[in-house]
Amino acid sequence: MKALALAIVVLVGGLLVSATVDFPDWADPNSPASRHVSPRYIEKTMEETSVPNIVTAVLADYRGYDTMFETAVVFTAGVACFLLLRRREPRPGPSRVYRHRATGVIVEMNRVPDKEPSPDVFKRIDDDWTPHDLIVMNVCRLLIPFIQLFALYVIAHGHHSPGGGFQGGVILGASVILMALSWDLRTAMLRMKETATGLMSAMGVFIYAGVGALALALGGNFLDYAALSPLLRVDPVAARSLGIFFVEVGVGLAVMATMVLIYKNLASEGRLDQGL
Amino acid sequence: MNLVVIIILGLGLVFFAGGAVGILRFPDFYSRLHPAGKMDTLGSFLMLGALALYHLHPFTLDNVLVAIKIMLIVVFYFLASPTATHAIVDAGIRAGQSAWQKPKQGAGS
Repeated sequence: MKALALAIVVLVGGLLVSATVDFPDWADPNSPASRHVSPRYIEKTMEETSVPNIVTAVLADYRGYDTMFETAVVFTAGVACFLLLRRREPRPGPSRVYRHRATGVIVEMNRVPDKEPSPDVFKRIDDDWTPHDLIVMNVCRLLIPFIQLFALYVIAHGHHSPGGGFQGGVILGASVILMALSWDLRTAMLRMKETATGLMSAMGVFIYAGVGALALALGGNFLDYAALSPLLRVDPVAARSLGIFFVEVGVGLAVMATMVLIYKNLASEGRLDQGL
Repeated sequence: MNLVVIIILGLGLVFFAGGAVGILRFPDFYSRLHPAGKMDTLGSFLMLGALALYHLHPFTLDNVLVAIKIMLIVVFYFLASPTATHAIVDAGIRAGQSAWQKPKQGAGS
């Protein structure tokens, strides 16, 4: 079986490598892409979509299908990690560790307590190590809102500057992961529960495909944002610009939620109870 | 004005160079973090400050906004870089990395 798999891999890999010989050279001005497609984008993007950043326009408008399925791939990766890693049974060994908030004394219990102690008095901590460093915790608390604000800026400003849904989504996800790193996983999970990440991940793809389907319902082609203009009460060019923004929001949601989902499952061995 | 910017940029470069030399020359993990954290922070403060100053030249609202953004980067750098250094030192101590001691006289290298 393994030999068969290896043979297939070698065969397909060899075919792919042999196919690269036929590619046009790097930056070949006579390649089909440089002769027909690129000049068209460079000349027409501004008047057709009123988006100064051509990369964003190509990504989310002209090649909207591509990006939609990229988002679907991100979502699928999240689902795959969830299915592979998530474990329902609790961690072996019943020991629970708590920190008395007022004195900092660590209490270790040999069994799971019948009644969870009040979180205002005893804070549950991980049984190996919980970061408890005042400087790191508070600096991260100070920085995280700015990071998130910057992420929203990157998502919304993709029209004019480098950025967009993927980059902004990753920054948003990183801010939540930073909170998990500097406090602990349970604190981050209080802000963003497992259902929230799963739902937002699916919601992002849904928003993207939904904008496309809405264009279809309003009489355009799938993902033809110009068809949204009667709904948004703007002219078709501005509607394409706005449509790009909507799908970027979907991409950002999906990417952020998937990042956090994968991180949570990896950090806690799929149990989501403790971990950095 | 340009002269001031050049002097500050040069000073920043001195600090960055010192930091790089320090990272290469200091004997162990903790003492290497010392130049990495301090010199880079001050060096980037000087360099970014010089860039902000340079940008103020035609004194318009746009340029002032850019300068403010650059100074905001400095603020976040001042918060993040020492904290990161602190966290790395913390992790080093938790991982059991022992600090370098000056070798005793006559005990070989």
